[in-house]
Amino acid sequence: MTPTLSITPRRTLAKLSAACLTYAMLAASAAIVLTPFAYLLASSLKTGEDFFGSLFLPAGEGVFGVAWGRITSANYTRLISEFDFTNNIVNSVFLASTTSILATLGAAMGGYALAMIRFPGRRFVTNLVLFALIIPAALMLAPSYQLLYFLGLLDTYTGLILPAAAPAFGVFLFRQAFLSSLPPQLLEAGRIDGCGELRLFVSIGLPLVRPMIGAFVLITYLGTWNNFIWPQIVLQSPEKLPLSVAIAQLRGVYSQDYGLLMAGTVISIAPVLVLFLLLQREFIAGLTAGAVKG
Amino acid sequence: MIRLRQYLRSGSPISPGVVVIAGLMLASAAWVAVRPVAQRDGLSFWVFARTHYQMYVPVADRWREAGGHRLDVALLSADALPRRLIASMHAGTHMADLVEIERSMASQVFSGPIDGIGLIDLTDRLHAEGLYDRFNEPSFAPWTVSGRVFGLPHDVHPVLLCYRADLVEEAGIDITSLTTWASFKEAMRAMVVDLDGDGRPDRYPLSLSETHLDQIEALLLQAGGGLFDIDGVPTLASDVNAATLAEITTWLTGPGRIAGDAPEFSASGNRLRLEGYVVCSLMSDWLTSVWESDLPQLEGKLRLMPLPAWEPGGRRTSVWGGTMIGIPKTTPDPEQAWAVAKELYLSEPLARELYERAGIISPVRALWDRGWYAAPRAYFGGQRTGRLYLEQAPDVPRRVSSPFDTIAKAGLQDVVIQLKRHAEETGVYDAAALQPVAKQLLEAAEARVRWHMNRNVFVRERSP
Repeated sequence: MTPTLSITPRRTLAKLSAACLTYAMLAASAAIVLTPFAYLLASSLKTGEDFFGSLFLPAGEGVFGVAWGRITSANYTRLISEFDFTNNIVNSVFLASTTSILATLGAAMGGYALAMIRFPGRRFVTNLVLFALIIPAALMLAPSYQLLYFLGLLDTYTGLILPAAAPAFGVFLFRQAFLSSLPPQLLEAGRIDGCGELRLFVSIGLPLVRPMIGAFVLITYLGTWNNFIWPQIVLQSPEKLPLSVAIAQLRGVYSQDYGLLMAGTVISIAPVLVLFLLLQREFIAGLTAGAVKG
Repeated sequence: MIRLRQYLRSGSPISPGVVVIAGLMLASAAWVAVRPVAQRDGLSFWVFARTHYQMYVPVADRWREAGGHRLDVALLSADALPRRLIASMHAGTHMADLVEIERSMASQVFSGPIDGIGLIDLTDRLHAEGLYDRFNEPSFAPWTVSGRVFGLPHDVHPVLLCYRADLVEEAGIDITSLTTWASFKEAMRAMVVDLDGDGRPDRYPLSLSETHLDQIEALLLQAGGGLFDIDGVPTLASDVNAATLAEITTWLTGPGRIAGDAPEFSASGNRLRLEGYVVCSLMSDWLTSVWESDLPQLEGKLRLMPLPAWEPGGRRTSVWGGTMIGIPKTTPDPEQAWAVAKELYLSEPLARELYERAGIISPVRALWDRGWYAAPRAYFGGQRTGRLYLEQAPDVPRRVSSPFDTIAKAGLQDVVIQLKRHAEETGVYDAAALQPVAKQLLEAAEARVRWHMNRNVFVRERSP
């Protein structure tokens, strides 16, 4: 007992020191990561005059050396009243949610077909999907623009959503997920029990790749939310623009209203940040699915 | 509720995250479906500058109410406009009926064969209607390709020297008497000061660095150099460029250093300007309003004067920036688009508004004697800034918008950086000694530009 008694406090101290060190390092890292966000938030609450006068909140005689009276929400008010940002937020939510749901459905169906259904040309289609992955998106801008023009889809949401409805990356991702998660015997058993193909897909296939669905919906949601170049080219009516393009519109060629830009950026980050915090467990589960499989 | 939870937790493929996003989809779709959408008709006009947009929209409204032109003005970001323009030009599809193009976009728009440029050639119209002579002639240069003009110029954009009058007065220097860069350098060296005693200067007479390519190009143009001649032939390796760059290098480094880095259009640069890190800056007319809006704290402390010349009696100005209005070939009604372009760019009320809002002087020479250009401007200590810019307007150097502008500028950037490094490594800070090195570096940069140009069959055909 004696040795145990003498070692325990030492061990406890070592554990405590290790924990302190870990937390100190984590806190330092968090501070580094969070500083730009703090700057962003502080800058969005400053007037044009204060913007260059102080690094974070306006300097003054108040508590913590801050001129609390000069903090303003004018940039946010202007964004909503003058620039109709509410509309842009809804546009972004609509585009991101619709695209992510449709793209996940399209990719899952495509991946399921390539992984589980034997049909003539399956290998060719799989290679085609792989080939599509290596084409740089920038190369497709002019031909896609032309195609949308001839289809009469310029300046429409369909022109943005349709080309993203079955992404090659997603199709391939789901193909791999089905191959690793869905044993063919399970499908055969389902068929023997009288399941049709749609039922097999919905009731047997999709539940087994559920973590992937969650992760892919969120990945597509974030990707569409941040998508900039394609909406910038396709959409022309100001009332249809998503947040990413609307914020870019705030930038002048030479002159910038930094306060407005910062407020716009805060507005564009906040909804996805909340969504990510709500769904992070699911997102991480999807990304790590299969990681421990032998 | 319990059933839903059980369903979500059980073998359902739909996870709570998907339900949340599907809910968002339905709610936002309902909003998008019921909200009113503005109906647009008439000529579509794309602009990239908010100031221009705010000026044109009331004009378009007035025309519409009076039963005149029907104009739909759209504000696009400076990134979006060229992207959309190039995409639609390459695709051969209809886009806008009128479009404003900034000089930095022009190299993309004017690439390819001359017949393939997506804008209507305005040369014959300009001469037939006598318009060419009504504009300040150098203002056409950036919009001219192989002698053909593709746009009406929006501005002149002369460059003056802006200085902190409070700091210069404090130092007891009569800056207005410094008419050459040599005298400027000599007299203003006294303003390189270490204010906090840490052994490093906290103030420099001039805002310039090797990365300020626009300003360096402006200085080259002032000296009579530049990246291309008026026919689009690269002239990077000219003697005048070599001599000017060698001199500029001695401003940037070494014992005679007079330049500090306070970049324009950036928060850090603006902060340095407020702190008095730099005393003088090159200032085009459009930049006056940018400073006025971004740096209101400097009101009354600034003054403008002509640039010091490179040699006694030499040119006291340069040029920086520029915008044109063009008519895409795909417009179904080019005549109406041309009529609108003329009304917008020749209009006296709009020229006045442009000056009062943005400080930009019109390229239409007949308007230069208007009284509103002589109004004192409080931000510049009551100086009549319009007049100051107009005095220099006829002398602005010509510059072209080559499709190889970006490559040439990258080459120039390389040269400036290498020359500065060479000076620091060898300890040679004498302009005359640096000139042969500058020449050699410029020749290599020009050879790279020519190599790119020779690969391009359209440019080879275009060359005189």
